[in-house]
Amino acid sequence: MAKAFKYGLKGITGFLEPAERELLRSLFEDVISMLQPEDRGKQDPLTAMIGLDMDAREPSDRALRRLLPNVMKNDGAASLEFRQLTERSLRESKIGALRAAALDLDKDELLLTDTDARHWSMALNDIRLVLAERLDIQDEADADHVHQMQDWSQAEDVESYLALVYNFTTWLQESLVQAMLQSMEPRP
Amino acid sequence: MTLSVALGPDTQESTQTGTAVSTDALTAPDIPWNLVIWNDPVNLMSYVSYVFQSYFGYSETKANKLMMEVHRKGRSIVAHGSKEQVEQHAVAMHGYGLWATVEKATGGNSGGGKNSGPGKGKGKRG
Repeated sequence: MAKAFKYGLKGITGFLEPAERELLRSLFEDVISMLQPEDRGKQDPLTAMIGLDMDAREPSDRALRRLLPNVMKNDGAASLEFRQLTERSLRESKIGALRAAALDLDKDELLLTDTDARHWSMALNDIRLVLAERLDIQDEADADHVHQMQDWSQAEDVESYLALVYNFTTWLQESLVQAMLQSMEPRP
Repeated sequence: MTLSVALGPDTQESTQTGTAVSTDALTAPDIPWNLVIWNDPVNLMSYVSYVFQSYFGYSETKANKLMMEVHRKGRSIVAHGSKEQVEQHAVAMHGYGLWATVEKATGGNSGGGKNSGPGKGKGKRG
């Protein structure tokens, strides 16, 4: 079993079993491949270099739309314009955090610096957002319902398996964030 | 937002100490814009509070108060500034996975009204 992240003298530490590391690695990689910008071939290299993407559109996939939301609630045109200016670099920074977290999975003992911990918290949050869309968690009642699912021996279909994975990543992120909040308190 | 296991943040209200005081005044032609954070059933309450503390440099008390406002009212205005400033914050919030939008401070905004004076929020990178 994984151990909860803890903040101590060495920094933030955690422990994951090999199977848990493999699970997280594949989740991180799934979300990375979702976020990977399509290679459109004829992209103007200069605009790509400065992070512009004039072909960017609001994603049709709900999970991707949650990762890359519109910046204005009721103004599709302004949101699209903003997306063309910023979405590419947002995708890249999310991929960067997910890759950094995946690299830390090479060892079973995790020792995280502040920056590592921030990347981990972002990466865990993004995989939870994607899992939540796949589980159709729309409101707090749905979240409570999924939260009931705690027994791995009950995992008999894809949905119950996803629910268990979601609950595991939720628990892991909560313990990490508690350790990060502790690390922000002034030392006595 | 979701409160996982028993490790919830303590949620003091009405004791806003607000150590975050803005030093950058808006220039006259600027129409103030709001950065709005929306509730969702996935993001952890502790994580939202952590983001408010580490990115905006808000005190724990202020961060928890804003986080609870998002949770209870469905949304909260967490920063103000020029359009460019709040857009930059919105991208940073999207980077953290929070659901953020920007809106003009005048007209039709609801919720979080008591924070809506221009120049009161700030955007220090933490």
